[in-house]
Amino acid sequence: MWNKKLWKSAMALALALTMALSAAACGKDGDKTPDSNPQGQQDNPGALEGAQDNADPFGAYEETVTCTLGRRTQQNPKLPEGDSYEENAYMSWVEDRFNVALTNAFESTDGEDYERQVALAISSEELPDMMTVDRATLEELVENDMLADLTTSYENYATDYIKDIYDSYEGRCLGSATFDGRLMALPTTSPDSAPSQVWIRQDWLDQLNIQLDTDGNSCITREELEMTAKEFLAKDPGGNGNPVGIAFTYDMNAGDNLEMQAISCSFGAFQKKWFQKEDGTVYNGSTTPQMKEALAYMNKLFTEGILDPQFGTRTWDDITALMTNGQTGIIFGVWHIPDWLLSNIKAMDPKASFTSFALEDGNGKVNVFHGDPAGNYVVVRKGYEHPELAVKMINLFHDERVTSKTLEQDAPEVYKYEQLGVDGSVRPLPVEINSNVSLLNDYSAIMKCVNGEADLEEMPTLEAKNMVGHIQRYNEDPNTTDVIDWSRYHSRTKGIQLIQNLTDNGSFAWVSPLYLGTTETMKSSGANLDKLEAETFIKMIIGEEPIDHFDSFVEQWNAQGGAAICEELAEKAQ
Amino acid sequence: MIENKSAASKIRCFIIYFVILLLAFVCLVPLWNIVCISFSSSAAVAGNRVGMRPVQFTLGAYEKIIGDSQFWRSFGISVARVIIALALNLLLILLMAYPLSKSRREFRARNIYMYLLIFAMLFNGGMIPTYLVVKELGLLNSIWALILPGAVPVFSVIMVMNFFIGIPKSLEEAAIIDGATPFQVLTRVFIPCAKPSIATVALFSIVGNWNDFYSGLIYMTKIKNYPVMTYIQSLSVNLEELIKAGGSANALANAAEVSNQNLNAAKIVVAVIPLLLIYPLLQKYLITGIVMGSVKE
Repeated sequence: MWNKKLWKSAMALALALTMALSAAACGKDGDKTPDSNPQGQQDNPGALEGAQDNADPFGAYEETVTCTLGRRTQQNPKLPEGDSYEENAYMSWVEDRFNVALTNAFESTDGEDYERQVALAISSEELPDMMTVDRATLEELVENDMLADLTTSYENYATDYIKDIYDSYEGRCLGSATFDGRLMALPTTSPDSAPSQVWIRQDWLDQLNIQLDTDGNSCITREELEMTAKEFLAKDPGGNGNPVGIAFTYDMNAGDNLEMQAISCSFGAFQKKWFQKEDGTVYNGSTTPQMKEALAYMNKLFTEGILDPQFGTRTWDDITALMTNGQTGIIFGVWHIPDWLLSNIKAMDPKASFTSFALEDGNGKVNVFHGDPAGNYVVVRKGYEHPELAVKMINLFHDERVTSKTLEQDAPEVYKYEQLGVDGSVRPLPVEINSNVSLLNDYSAIMKCVNGEADLEEMPTLEAKNMVGHIQRYNEDPNTTDVIDWSRYHSRTKGIQLIQNLTDNGSFAWVSPLYLGTTETMKSSGANLDKLEAETFIKMIIGEEPIDHFDSFVEQWNAQGGAAICEELAEKAQ
Repeated sequence: MIENKSAASKIRCFIIYFVILLLAFVCLVPLWNIVCISFSSSAAVAGNRVGMRPVQFTLGAYEKIIGDSQFWRSFGISVARVIIALALNLLLILLMAYPLSKSRREFRARNIYMYLLIFAMLFNGGMIPTYLVVKELGLLNSIWALILPGAVPVFSVIMVMNFFIGIPKSLEEAAIIDGATPFQVLTRVFIPCAKPSIATVALFSIVGNWNDFYSGLIYMTKIKNYPVMTYIQSLSVNLEELIKAGGSANALANAAEVSNQNLNAAKIVVAVIPLLLIYPLLQKYLITGIVMGSVKE
C-alpha cells in the first residue's frame, strides 16, 4: 500500500517536473524571438557610435571597459616568476593602453581541456566576452546566433598592416569566418608550410660518401631516396647494430610529419584532401588512381625492406627513439621539425646534423597543396558592447608589437617578455597572425643580416632579430652543444632555405584543396571513413591485401558516407 | 607423511610467493620508470631512452620544483581538500550507515532511503547538468566544488552499513540497558567496533580525493585554484596532439623547449609521497581490524 502510494506521488512529481521544464523551455524560446530583434538593432547604433569617435585603431576608452576572456593556456608557459595568465605584462599593456579591465572567465590547457570549458560555457549560456574557438565550434555558435557581427568593427578599426596580412590569403582566410556575408570571427592565420621535406642525416651521408641532389635543384628522386635508405641499412652508419628502414607512424592521418605525404604527393596524390572538379563535383585525394600508385610504391619499398618492417605499429615516441638511437637516419617532416623533434637527436648525439630535400615527381616538380589558411577563430559574444576591442587588441599585438621600433621605450615590460621568448598563449587573445608570404620575407631579411648586408635594427619582427642571433652563434661554432642554436639553424638555413630554393626555381606545382569545415555526414561517418582508410592502406602496404583491393576500397568508402560528403561539400562550395 | 606434506606445502608456498612477488614487481615497474624519468635529462626522456635506470642523471627537475610556487600552492589546496573531505565524508557516512543498519521494523522508511542511495550510485545527471548545479550554487573556483559533489560516497556508506549490521545485537542491547542514548550507542559501541571498515572508507576517501584531477579541471576555471593532480595533468605536453591540432611553428618550438617530461615525472613523484606515507599508517588499523572482526564472528 505504502509503496503504491509512493509510486503514484513519484509519478505525479515526475510529470509535474516534465511539464515545468518544457514550459520553461517554451518560455525561453518565447523570450528569445522578440529579444533578438532589438539586439540586432542595437548592434548598428553601436557601430555608428564607434565610427563617430573616428575609429582610432589604438584609441583608449573614456570609461573603463570590462572584458572577460576564455583563455587557451599552454603547458609550462615561460612566464617570469610571479606572473600568471591573469596578471602579466601583455594583459596590463592592453589594460593601460585601452583603459579596459580584463579578467579571465576560465583558463584551460589547449586541446581537450579547453574544448570542454568552451562546451560548458556554451551549454550554460554564459560565454566569456571573447575567446578563441575551433572551426566546428564557430559554426555551432553562428548557427545558434550567439556571436557578435564583427564586419563593421573590422572595417573601421583594423590597421592597414593587419588588413594586408589577411589580404595576402586572397580572401581564403577571412572567407572561412564569413557567414552570409557577415564576418563573425577573426581567424588566426596559418601560412603554407609545404612541402613535407625529407630530412637526412648529413653526418652519415658524409661518412658513407654519398652525394645526393647532383643536379642541384634541391630535390631528390625516389631512386635517390631508396639508394640512401639501402646504404644506411647496409652500412649502419649510426653504429647501433640494428638499423631499421624509413619509419612512418601507424595512424596514416596524412599529416606532413612522420607520414607518407611527401611520397604520395610525388605521385600527385593528396591524401585526405578535398578537391573540386571544374564541373563542380567534389572528390577526395585518397580515392584517386594516383593514390593507388603511391600505395603500390610503398608496398614495393616495404617488400624490399626499405621501410621499417614494423610499419603500421610505430608511434611517434617509437620513431623519435629510433632516430635518437641512430637506427634510422631519414625522417619526413615540415621545415620546423628541427625545432621540436630533431632537437632531441642533437641533444643525444652531438655529432648529428641534417640536410633536407624535397621529393620530386617524374618531371622534376614538387607537388604541394595549400594548407588551411585559418586555424582558430577569435569570437566575441553577442551583445558585448565593444566588439571592436577584439580588433584593437589584434592591432596592438600583431601590428604595433611586431613592427614598432620603439617598443623598448614605449613598453619596456612587453619588450622584456619578447626577449625572454614568453609564449604567445600569454597574450589576451592567443592567436598568430602572419602574412602568407611572411615565412620567406622574414627569412630573406634574416639571411641578409646574417651575411652582413643588413642591420639588425632593420629586421621586420623581433622574432627575426632573435633568429639572427641563433644563426650567427651557430655559424661561429658549428660544433656547438647549444641545441636551440642548432635547431634554429637547421629549421631556417635548411628547412626554409629549401622552400626558398624551390620557389626561386619554380619547382612547386601548387594545388588548392577545399577547406569548408565539417558537414553532417563528416560528423557521423568521418571517423569510420578515416579508420577504413588507415586500415586498408596499411594492409595494402604490408602486402596483406593486393594493390587491386584499392578499387573495392573506393567503392566501400563511397558507400559508407564518402559520396555523401562529396555532395555536401559540392553544395557548400557553391 | 607430515614431513612430506610440509615439503609440498613449502613448494606451494614458494610458488605462491613467487607469483605474488612477480605481480608486485609488475605493479612497481611503471612507478619505478617514472622515478627514473624524473632523474634523467629531458632529451633522454624525449628520445624514449629511459627504462629501468636514469639516463644522464640530473637533479635539475627537483631543483625546479622547489622554485615552482604554483605547485606548492596546488599541493596545499589538495591537502586542505583531503582533510576537509575526509572529515565530512566520515561524518556523513557514519550518520547515514547507522540508521540504515537498523531493520525495517525499527526504521520504517529505511528502504526508501536505500533505494534513493542506490539510485544515486547507479545514475547521475552527467557532466554538464552537474556543472550547472555547481555553477548556480556559486561554487565554481571554491574548494567546496571539489568536496560537496562527493560528500556522500554511497559505496562507502553501504560498506560501513553492512559492517554495522554484522555487529551482534546483544552489544547494542547491553548498551541500551545501561542507559545509552542511540547517539551514545553509535559513538561508544558501533564506531569502536567498526574501526577496520572506517579505516577502509577513510583510505578510499583520502586516495580518491587526492588523486581526483577531473573535478578540478571542470570546476576550477583558474589555474591558481587547481588541486595538485589537476595541475600536474595540465602540464603534460603532447607534441603529437599539438601538431595534429595544427599548432604553429612557434607554439611547437616553445612546447618542445618546455616539454619537461622529467620535470613532470618529478612532480608526480613528489605528489605521490603523501599517499605513500599514509598507507602504512592506516594499514596498521586495517590488519588489527580484520583480526578483531574475525574473533568476534
